[in-house]
Amino acid sequence: MSLLEVDGISVSFDGFRAINNLSFTIEEPELRAVIGPNGAGKTTFMDIVTGKTRPDTGKVLWGEDNLNLIGRSESAIARAGVGRKFQKPTVFEDQSVRENLAMAIKGDRNPFAVLFGRRDDAARLTEIATEIGLFGRLGRKAGELSHGQKQWLEIGMLLAQEPRLLLVDEPAAGMTPEERTQTTDLLKRLATRHAVVVVEHDMDFVRRLDCRVTVLHEGRVLAEGSVDHVTQNPEVIDVYLGR
Amino acid sequence: MADATLTGPATVPPIRRTSTMIFLAALAVFVLLVTLLADAGMISTSTVKLLGKTLCLALAAVAMDVVWGYTGILSLGHMAFFGLGGYAIGMWLMWARTEAIVLADMAARTLPPTPSELQDAIGSQIFGVVGTSDIPMIWTFAHSLPLQLAMVVLVPGLLALVFGWLAFRSRVAGVYLSILTQAMTLALSLYLFQNDSGLRGNNGLSGLQNIPGFETTSQATISIAFFWGSALALGLGYLLFAWVVSGRMGSVLRAVRDDEARVRFLGYHVESFKLFAFTLTAIVTGIAGALYYPQAGIINPNEIAPVASIYLAVWVAIGGRGRLYGAAIGAIVVSLLSNWFTSGGAPDIDLGIYEIRWTEWWLVLLGVSFICVTLFAPQGLGGLFDLLSARRRSGRRASYGPDTGAKRPEEGAE
Repeated sequence: MSLLEVDGISVSFDGFRAINNLSFTIEEPELRAVIGPNGAGKTTFMDIVTGKTRPDTGKVLWGEDNLNLIGRSESAIARAGVGRKFQKPTVFEDQSVRENLAMAIKGDRNPFAVLFGRRDDAARLTEIATEIGLFGRLGRKAGELSHGQKQWLEIGMLLAQEPRLLLVDEPAAGMTPEERTQTTDLLKRLATRHAVVVVEHDMDFVRRLDCRVTVLHEGRVLAEGSVDHVTQNPEVIDVYLGR
Repeated sequence: MADATLTGPATVPPIRRTSTMIFLAALAVFVLLVTLLADAGMISTSTVKLLGKTLCLALAAVAMDVVWGYTGILSLGHMAFFGLGGYAIGMWLMWARTEAIVLADMAARTLPPTPSELQDAIGSQIFGVVGTSDIPMIWTFAHSLPLQLAMVVLVPGLLALVFGWLAFRSRVAGVYLSILTQAMTLALSLYLFQNDSGLRGNNGLSGLQNIPGFETTSQATISIAFFWGSALALGLGYLLFAWVVSGRMGSVLRAVRDDEARVRFLGYHVESFKLFAFTLTAIVTGIAGALYYPQAGIINPNEIAPVASIYLAVWVAIGGRGRLYGAAIGAIVVSLLSNWFTSGGAPDIDLGIYEIRWTEWWLVLLGVSFICVTLFAPQGLGGLFDLLSARRRSGRRASYGPDTGAKRPEEGAE
């Protein structure tokens, strides 16, 4: 059944149509790659789903109850179960790996619950830290980690949030080939339980993900299907792969 | 050490936890010392009052550090809450004392005064200076100490809650928020300057050093009592904020300061956290003000002029943002120095062609120090403690080697 249904959204910035009547659905669980050239509207699409940008028209329906996410705050959407991984690793550099993870662990986000709630999440912390290979670095400040480790920490924070939908922005950027393989494996593993949307323009990486691909162009869906299917589409070759 | 590497070091660096203990111990020693010196007559009552007031300012600075240093909201209006706390307690002090004086005057009469006669007499005593004897609405609870004590908390708290809600909800941040808070304190001070504000206009409230019910007690005893009260408030306030900024709340507040948007995507409603920090610190600042003004003896609208809040920010910056003891030290050192320079304590420097008079040049010196701290020592005075604790730790500062398996400098002390 569909977890996220984007229905006819459009948004313009100063007359420029960043998203033009975009519609598609994502199942749960599913791994989906969204590709497209620069300016195709990939980032704007993520901004709309996460509540950062408000579309001019259209609906974003979520979950079993078809909740409309439009008009909800970023934090409410995040609590509903949408997690976002940024292109540049964004962790809180001034705080330890442990603090970063503890902040992300799913739980009551009300200020008073945060202040008074002394929950024991040591077990969960250990579990996540082990999964992302940072167990030995729990006490280290996030700012001292390597680029790759920061990426993993951010992924760990996403896991800790226990989202139903993960939006991942260019996960392979700045990673070594070895780290890319690890990342592909992780994303595939996650996609057995969650809905995962990967926004990427590295075609090799997408091919390795081996999943359904949505090609965006000028703010709308140009083609959708398997990697082989979309790469043979003449329109796709024309606007994207041909370059 | 093996255990520590397994689970990683504790979340809170030990310096943070021990710093609270050291601060409280230092405060206790200071209180004891001042009490003994005052008892022996070695320091004057006015010095005790000055030190007591300084502790209140330190409490306000600690609160300012939580809202600015930890949460990243540069509020340039926190002294408005300080003043409101002072006005709230001042109203009771003035009312109760005037009532006692009026009753004593009327005691000679054969018929006891009716309640309305009493009200009129108190009214003309208090509001005669602004040309009226009507008692304004806001003095409704002034006869009751418990109600006015509630006002000390409620008035700054509610103002901060409403102001903060409006500002944070519209996502006003950074320098725009600072300007807005300046406007708030300026508007409040201008309003209070008016005679019909109900708080005696530019005369303010005076005679606050006379505590009703303790007419026969000497000012020396009262000053020591308020000094203790201020120290207790500073100690408790410090503990409260040390608790707030530890653990997950502190983590979220610092995260809001560093990357607000990212915190939203983690599912935290950033505005609520800002509002929490803003309101809680406003309340504590109000309490600090309520302890300050009975020691100062007088409060007028000048006290909440925008420049007062800027001083508060300067103290915190010089003391060191983001560490509570830094803010307290900054407030204590700078406000005492300021007092020394402006009261003619510092010897003037005669340069032959020009004489530097510190009463005038102190502000220049303060301004230059502020700029220097901001540019060259952003850790402020509190940063000096890092130098001390760094020297005590093992000297290794560089990595042990380029290999991934090599120890980091932090791991070398085993």
